[in-house]
Amino acid sequence: MTSARIFCGSLIALALGCGNVEPTPSERAPERSLEPALRRLSTAEIDTTAQRLTGSVSNLARALPPDARQSDYSRNVAQSVDSLLLGQLFDESRSATERLDLSLPQFPPCAPTALASDRACAETIVTQLARWAFRRSASASEIERLLGLFTLGAEGADFKSGIALVVRGLLGSPKFLYATTLGSGTGATRLTNEELGSELSLLISGDPPDNELITAASRGELVSGLERERQALRLLQMGQARYLYRRFVQEWLGLVALDGLAKSSQVISGFPALRDAMVDETNEFVDDVFSHQAGSVAALLVGGYSIVPEPLAGFYGIQPTAPGARVNLTGLGRVGILQQASFLATFAHESESAPVLRGKAILTRLLCLDFPKPTDLGVDIVFPPADATATTRERYGRHATDPACRGCHATLDGVGFVFENFDAAGKLRTSESGRPIDTSGSVQLDGRLLSLTDSAALSSALANSEQVRQCAARQVVRFAAGKSDASVEQAFVESLKHESLERRATFLGLFLEFVKSDWFAWRKPQ
Amino acid sequence: MIRQSSLPISRRAALTALGAGATLAALFPKPRALHAAPAPAKYFIGVYMPHGMAREFWVPKPGFEISYEGSSLAPFDDAATYGRSFRDQIVALEGLDLTAGLRSSTVGHDASRVILTGSGTNGQNASIDQFLAIEQGLGQQTPLASLVLGVGNAAPALQWCISYAKGGTALPKIIDPLATFNHAFGQFLVDPEPAAAARAAREQRLGKSLLDYWTTDLAELSARSPQTERDKLDQHSTALRELEKRVLGQTVTCAVPVRPDATQFPKVGSYQGGEPYFDVVTNLQIDLMVQALACDVTRISTLFLADLSRTHFDTQLPEDVHTDVAHRYASAGRSGMGSSDAASQARLARQNHYVYGKIARILQRLSEASLLDQTVLVAMSDMGDPAKHSSRQVPTLLAGGWGGALRAGRHIDLGADGTPSNRLLVSIQQAFGVESNSYGQSTDPSILSGTLALT
Repeated sequence: MTSARIFCGSLIALALGCGNVEPTPSERAPERSLEPALRRLSTAEIDTTAQRLTGSVSNLARALPPDARQSDYSRNVAQSVDSLLLGQLFDESRSATERLDLSLPQFPPCAPTALASDRACAETIVTQLARWAFRRSASASEIERLLGLFTLGAEGADFKSGIALVVRGLLGSPKFLYATTLGSGTGATRLTNEELGSELSLLISGDPPDNELITAASRGELVSGLERERQALRLLQMGQARYLYRRFVQEWLGLVALDGLAKSSQVISGFPALRDAMVDETNEFVDDVFSHQAGSVAALLVGGYSIVPEPLAGFYGIQPTAPGARVNLTGLGRVGILQQASFLATFAHESESAPVLRGKAILTRLLCLDFPKPTDLGVDIVFPPADATATTRERYGRHATDPACRGCHATLDGVGFVFENFDAAGKLRTSESGRPIDTSGSVQLDGRLLSLTDSAALSSALANSEQVRQCAARQVVRFAAGKSDASVEQAFVESLKHESLERRATFLGLFLEFVKSDWFAWRKPQ
Repeated sequence: MIRQSSLPISRRAALTALGAGATLAALFPKPRALHAAPAPAKYFIGVYMPHGMAREFWVPKPGFEISYEGSSLAPFDDAATYGRSFRDQIVALEGLDLTAGLRSSTVGHDASRVILTGSGTNGQNASIDQFLAIEQGLGQQTPLASLVLGVGNAAPALQWCISYAKGGTALPKIIDPLATFNHAFGQFLVDPEPAAAARAAREQRLGKSLLDYWTTDLAELSARSPQTERDKLDQHSTALRELEKRVLGQTVTCAVPVRPDATQFPKVGSYQGGEPYFDVVTNLQIDLMVQALACDVTRISTLFLADLSRTHFDTQLPEDVHTDVAHRYASAGRSGMGSSDAASQARLARQNHYVYGKIARILQRLSEASLLDQTVLVAMSDMGDPAKHSSRQVPTLLAGGWGGALRAGRHIDLGADGTPSNRLLVSIQQAFGVESNSYGQSTDPSILSGTLALT
């Protein structure tokens, strides 16, 4: 699938859902608003801009310390610039700029042959680089200071060395490293025009804003929610966005943990290689659902197909298919993302399935419920002893009989047990310890207790649940805000009541609704 | 071998002096004269131990006997392996609860956060290492304010960190010994060749200009930022100051160690194929950490030994130590109420023994560098009984001289009721001369104050 095609199909329906009447932009903050904040960019965001500035593949994301996450989201307002990060940024930016190639098309024609004294050419380049890094047009004084870096870098060296120092300066600048949502005043405040452009681009495409967006921002056009939505739709048609939505889904469902998990050799051999294929499957599937169905929550859960990489075919017990081809796996009980090996292996132990982890993942990530830890309730954790003659479900039987456990585990295990036909690695099984698998369970959904025959029934129920849609909306706010704010999440959910299903039951629709909203544009007083 | 220099020391010169066969131990400064009277604590080392503790093989026998069959503390009385016995340098401290975690739902694996912060997930205070290094200024005089290391997992995430910045953000760890070396010693590698010296001088000039540029930008940003972002901006300022020290080139008072041979540890991540190399990685991290202290590159360090599972270091233990050893541990507990499985206790004790061996190595290196008397070392897990994920009754090891604030060579039992671990943190800060009588944050302030009787 070429990047240019990303999202085109699904955007038609979403665009039709756009309002045609321009509402008057709000003049004050909504009653419940987010705090003004400095959000340090995630390493992926830093890396993306580094690639833009240097024109080459960046090694920064791997070289920098991993992100501190909120929930599992790497967009996190609590992150800061610590000594280790700054030191490594200092070193790695030097390495990155050593590979700087001024003949790349992103640089003007004067760049490859410019002399160290060519200040005009330097100014042209510096102006563009600063736009990408600051996610806005730089002021005259900012350009002047950057040209000072250029002069110092080029002194006794060459033109490229001057530009290299400018790139290093930009990559370590607090104005690049922090996405600000401060506004311009001290009272309740709307984001500045530049902040609106920066936030819109980082949230929708994960990229620095392009020139069209920066121009729209500088003209004050992004004060309009409708214009923000129009720009977001435009950005979605550009290929970069898919990486952002892959990351969103992985972080939402906690699949980022898979990279740090192992499986017992008694369960599966060669797990590390298979693990990569599991991630590839989910990425391809997410691309497909976002491209063709606007990131429909229902399609993610019960799409009825997947795109299975060749290394995973044998594991799934199917014949390899052409790269990128959809394959129907419903006969194997794999109806959507929750039956993909990435999810099942993430929420399992090394050598055995984990009904509690799987149940908790569903209830917290798809239904936005919270559960106390056993120790909060004064309950000692007792791991069920190994028993080669019993199924995992049977070993967890105490959860149903012990009154201290039953309160929470009736809910957790009732959901988790429906996945028991998948082992610790996510492989299909019909028996365990010589005994048949029981996949029956239950879930409390939209105020009703539903009996379930298996995980496909669970996925189907979740796909049609208003509670799941509302939780999806909350997750979009958490991701966008870089923190959990129950008050704003609730306000956003309430605002969606009368929206179409295209808008409130698809992730792209939810992202567009949020971008359009006052919660995106306004902040509390400082 | 000891180099007192006002200039960064040439690695080539150091290696020439030592010869190609120089060992890591040989790179330490010569022992200093013993102090006539205890000097105040100067160095801090905090260590996170995984998997909780098998109390049955941890409690010393009468007479502080720690070498009995199966004892996990035996490495501290093993002169054949670690050069001398450290039995007189340790305290086995029993009876601490991670109470601030119990009060804030920061329990189980999450309780690693509580160990050095004395606060739960909503705490905004720094861990004691960062408090001493940054807020008390102990890190100002050294090139690095602190050195935050780990084995296996670099993520600055709950469950995987003991070092936290003011504001409550977890700090990332360096898990690659080569990166540790570059971070701690890379700045002191100066190639004496004229061309290289010229490059270094230019890089220093450019580095200064970058620092000036970033400092100005940060000041502009700070001017329009709300008070709520102050901790974040302060941490950024600290990072700039630290980088400035590095760029300007501070001096060290000993030879720069040998760069680790990366072929010894081709992978370093947990579940990324790093497990077979964790033993060599841990040893290198320990050696580099103590060398950094010996060279006064820093005086504050923490080491997070992440889930040391699947390493096969001990062939008598199952592959999955986490699940099959820690989760299967069956203890009667201090109350004697639980079920008890002696074999499961012995298995966990073997794993504890392995980790204590690494801490004995730290003591060995500190002793070789004559730093032990002034060092405060604390090693703790996030759990007592790991099968219950219990943050109560967490066996704790104290070691070093604490500058005279610790009378070692004994078992201290605080009792079964559970003493808040905050008191340990208060005692630590007082060993460094901080007069405050409380540490940490909690909705229950009563747990924050008080000290332990350690002398």
